[in-house]
Amino acid sequence: MNWNLFVTELVAGVSHGAVYALIALGYSMVYGILKLLNFAHGDVYMVGSFIGYGIIGVFGGATSLNVPVWALLTVMMLCAMLGGGLLGVMIERFAYRRLRNAPRIAPLITALGVSFFLENAAQLVLGAQYQSYNSFSWRSPIAFSHFTLAAGAVISYAEVIIIVGTIVLVVALTLFVQRTQLGKAMRATSFDREAAAMMGIDVDRVIVATFFIGSALAGAAGVFNGIEYQQVWPYMGFTAGLYAFIAAVVGGIGNLPGAVLGGLTIGLAQSFSIGYVSSTFSDAVVFAILIAVMIVRPSGLLGRAAVSKV
Amino acid sequence: MVRRFGLIAAAAVAVVLAIVSAAAARPTASAAASTVSCSKGVTIGMQAPITGPAGSIGSDQLHWAQFYFTRWNKTHKLKIHLMQEDTQLDPSKASTTAQALASTASVMGVIGPAGSDEVQAVAPIFRKAGLAFASGSATRVSLTGGAWKGYFFRDVPNDSVQGPTDANYMFENLGVTSGSSVMVVDDQESYSTGLADIVGQALSGKGVKVDRESVSQKATDFSSLIAKVTPSTKVVFLPFQVASEAQLFAQQLQAQGKTAIAFGSDGTFDASKFTVNGSYISFFAPDVTTIAADASIVAAFHKQFPGATSPFGAPNYVLAQMYATAITKACKDGKTSRAEVRKDVLAVSLKSTILGGPMRLTANGDVAGAKFHIFKIENGKYVTIA
Amino acid sequence: MSTDPTDPNAPRVGVDEWVASHEQRRTRRAGVLGVVERELERVPSAAFYLGFGIAAACLPAVTSNGYVIDVGLNTLLYMLLALGLNITVGYAGLLDLGYVAFYGFAAYGYAMLASPQFGLHWDTLAVIPVVVVATAILGLLVALPSRRLVGDYLAIVTLFFGELFATVYQNGESMTVFGFSRKYDVTGGPNGIPNIDQFHVFGARIGALNYTAYYYVALIFFMVLLFAMYLVDRSRTGRAWKSLREDPLAAELMGMPVNRLKLIAFACGAGIAGLAGTIFAAANTAVFASEFDFTSGLLIIVYAMLILGGAGSLGGVIIGALVVNVSLEVLRDPGHATWVFYVLIAGTLVARLRPWRWLAAIVVGTAAFGFAVHAIVSAAWPRGVHGQAAVGGVLGSGLSHWVVLPSNPMTIGNVAFICLVLAVLALTLLHGWMQKVAMIPTLYLAAFVWDNVMLTQPDPARYIVLGLILIALMIIRPNGLLGERRVEIV
Repeated sequence: MNWNLFVTELVAGVSHGAVYALIALGYSMVYGILKLLNFAHGDVYMVGSFIGYGIIGVFGGATSLNVPVWALLTVMMLCAMLGGGLLGVMIERFAYRRLRNAPRIAPLITALGVSFFLENAAQLVLGAQYQSYNSFSWRSPIAFSHFTLAAGAVISYAEVIIIVGTIVLVVALTLFVQRTQLGKAMRATSFDREAAAMMGIDVDRVIVATFFIGSALAGAAGVFNGIEYQQVWPYMGFTAGLYAFIAAVVGGIGNLPGAVLGGLTIGLAQSFSIGYVSSTFSDAVVFAILIAVMIVRPSGLLGRAAVSKV
Repeated sequence: MVRRFGLIAAAAVAVVLAIVSAAAARPTASAAASTVSCSKGVTIGMQAPITGPAGSIGSDQLHWAQFYFTRWNKTHKLKIHLMQEDTQLDPSKASTTAQALASTASVMGVIGPAGSDEVQAVAPIFRKAGLAFASGSATRVSLTGGAWKGYFFRDVPNDSVQGPTDANYMFENLGVTSGSSVMVVDDQESYSTGLADIVGQALSGKGVKVDRESVSQKATDFSSLIAKVTPSTKVVFLPFQVASEAQLFAQQLQAQGKTAIAFGSDGTFDASKFTVNGSYISFFAPDVTTIAADASIVAAFHKQFPGATSPFGAPNYVLAQMYATAITKACKDGKTSRAEVRKDVLAVSLKSTILGGPMRLTANGDVAGAKFHIFKIENGKYVTIA
Repeated sequence: MSTDPTDPNAPRVGVDEWVASHEQRRTRRAGVLGVVERELERVPSAAFYLGFGIAAACLPAVTSNGYVIDVGLNTLLYMLLALGLNITVGYAGLLDLGYVAFYGFAAYGYAMLASPQFGLHWDTLAVIPVVVVATAILGLLVALPSRRLVGDYLAIVTLFFGELFATVYQNGESMTVFGFSRKYDVTGGPNGIPNIDQFHVFGARIGALNYTAYYYVALIFFMVLLFAMYLVDRSRTGRAWKSLREDPLAAELMGMPVNRLKLIAFACGAGIAGLAGTIFAAANTAVFASEFDFTSGLLIIVYAMLILGGAGSLGGVIIGALVVNVSLEVLRDPGHATWVFYVLIAGTLVARLRPWRWLAAIVVGTAAFGFAVHAIVSAAWPRGVHGQAAVGGVLGSGLSHWVVLPSNPMTIGNVAFICLVLAVLALTLLHGWMQKVAMIPTLYLAAFVWDNVMLTQPDPARYIVLGLILIALMIIRPNGLLGERRVEIV
């Protein structure tokens, strides 16, 4: 058994899946509370990625950075998360708030409208060209190079940063949702919005907080993607958003651990199908795997079948 | 239903107005044969994937053509107006916008479309409308010399020139011998698969083991694919349309410690994006950046359109130049027609262009005397090898 | 006092008078508009569909501009797609995100049976039924998981099928049987299948590029299917579908064959998409897989049309397709787009600003503000007003005196665009006279941004405007233009 190949594919799949997982968390959180599929979420990820790219420019550009890399990374993460969160809050306030009680299919179209707007506004203002983080040129004692494990497999520092960063963020989110009062309010609202309102929870505040956190995670995912895969361009949110939506549903929509699991499943499926089956038909293989998963577990991997009271 | 009377009525009235104003447009047939006076200026249509997944290529092509005509209009009495149409690399949208161009009487020629399958979709429309149309990036071999001779031309050489050049160079100079292996990766678009197929066949004809892979044009993670590169893989051929994708691949290749050499095609020729040392690229012109006259043009371009550019942009500048030259000749008697412009543009002969040489077309519409040059990247710079 | 229910003068027992008489108290429009509205209410909706059919049939008689006919053909194809999707989404309530795959399957099916690809050139009367039935069977197969999957999970599985189809067809130029046979060129891969046969019936063949003929073919098919849907709407199956949409559990308890209804809904929707696919393939003479995958945006546009018009409503299918497709095409041309822009702004102001003196004040104020700014800028910074107006004619020359047009609008245009977005958002937060006063600079800024930024880059601007229209229309009418207001019990 070729362990080198296996470990390389494994780490690549996990790091790719981690990015999907972060975006999928935002989808799941918003769906849990509002039953809304926020198709504009992928574009928040794109904006976060561009914010990170802008920060590199502020600090001197990729080839002549004038701050240490750890400081750059911290500032990029903070700014992208803040920017992404604010964008998410603005979208909620101006596009979705009036549609809280509309049939589910109406906010779908509004989300599509917001998505068209964001992608094309980004092209208008920033240009359609691919920009690059160029993280391979960052001067740093730990350059963004690869190191070889004992088994001969090769992974990169960037992949490690992504995996560690994702774990930190997911743990922080879980602690927040389980231990804090706002987190409890979020869980209550996603369970039954009207009952929560009647219990004195400020539902508007909870929804704003949900959008902020979900979009901040998407912004962080954008920066992670930039560090490892380097390309940013206005339409990058489209496919990433699609895969993250798939991840959220495959894991059981509304379920946070499920979103993470779904993201990892897709990342690993992609990685292993490219490595072991065929790169040409890897997409087809991934979709076939996912169809099988859904047929075996109709409510998603960790979803519970909803009990409807008659 | 009638309770929403106001909104419905407004929508219906708007649609009717749009249809009526469109109906007042001239019949297409008369647009094809008419003679147009040059005094008010002439229009050249442009089709490119300006938005959508291929937006980086199309908007760059558009900018270079706009750049040429802006400078032309500043210094010439005969004004040329560029009418842009967005195809999003979708052949059915290309057909619809081709109809729009064909129906506009003042359009005398078209730059674009960009993709080979788009060219196939629009060719019957332009042929019927009598329009010349030219692509700066559609390189499928079968497009010229067929039913559209006299209508379609291009100013980039086609795959039948680039493919064998690359394969031969690999065989002769890069240690690729019968029995060693080469990985050929395409990006699932027709430009890429055509070239990859030609190179793959040429190499396997010489007894080389060819590993054909493909990735999506939007893919960024190649580590899974690169892990399949073995020590006996001498070269990885990357005929991508997007230079930064090739850069990512080559970087990840080197970072994983593989000894295979990355070899890109003309779509990856971009000194600002594809810079991994030790890689090779083939391109149809000698290095444009070393030509002194080009530097001022490139600087002026960046002043009008700040930001990065791509290798498929400059050929559109040359196409604009060819059309402008042809229109000047056709307008000598004060009026011109599509047939006249078609005849003149196919006979254009430019002594020097920013692509670094003369530009002349063969009878089929391909570039005469097309030759591909091989470059190697050393210290982040492109050095001409062959 | 008698309480006989048949006596019109007796008070009705057990009835809340106020609620019972709200129909009469609904504000009637005064004057001519009110009369027109009341008369239109009495016209059966079938007459409107017939009227639409007649109007659409007149289009090729009014113009012979190939572009207009092509746009008309595309709109009809979209209407057919939306009609089919209406069955699955609007009637049966099943979210089908792989719908465009049926369209592509049918287009490729027609291409494989009537082109040089395999050397088959079947007669049109044979190919179309075969392809439609095959697509319907495919729809049936895709619907099989719907027994176990509900809601968004079904949506995801249909999405997977759609992407599977697109991937397989995009790479189908060298398919093998699990690696054990030689490679077959099944679908032409990224090069697609060219030179598809045109429709030919009993020897009469439609010429190539004869969009008018295909327009009529599509129109006839659409009207026939519309009529069929109109009847189905009132039939038992239509009512069964609607009850399935409203409450699947109650429908099942009422004894309706829920699974069978779902399968039939999918199959019917797929069949209609199949019909549209054959017309598409023949009219375009070539098919490419990239036209049918998710990134081409076709699925999104069809959904937008359906929901904008009102899911579950036949008239909504027509209106939605017209509004979205015609908007997109009209906005391609900067001249037309500018007219649309200013008419929309004027229309919004007229509709929202009451009383009229506010409207007059704001219009005059904006004009004055504009001229003042233009004068100041041309005095202080001459290069700021030397740019080109992108639209000609009367409007263009008028605008060039009112709007500031710098000669290099890139950077300042981008900054202005971001400022405009923030200003509009802030405007929605203000109220009263502050809002009206703030409207003046915002309107001027909008005109500035439109002329300098949007017109120099019309193609992203097109989709920005479409996005804004979708957002605005869904906020104003969440049920779509012609949709029925439904009560959703959460």
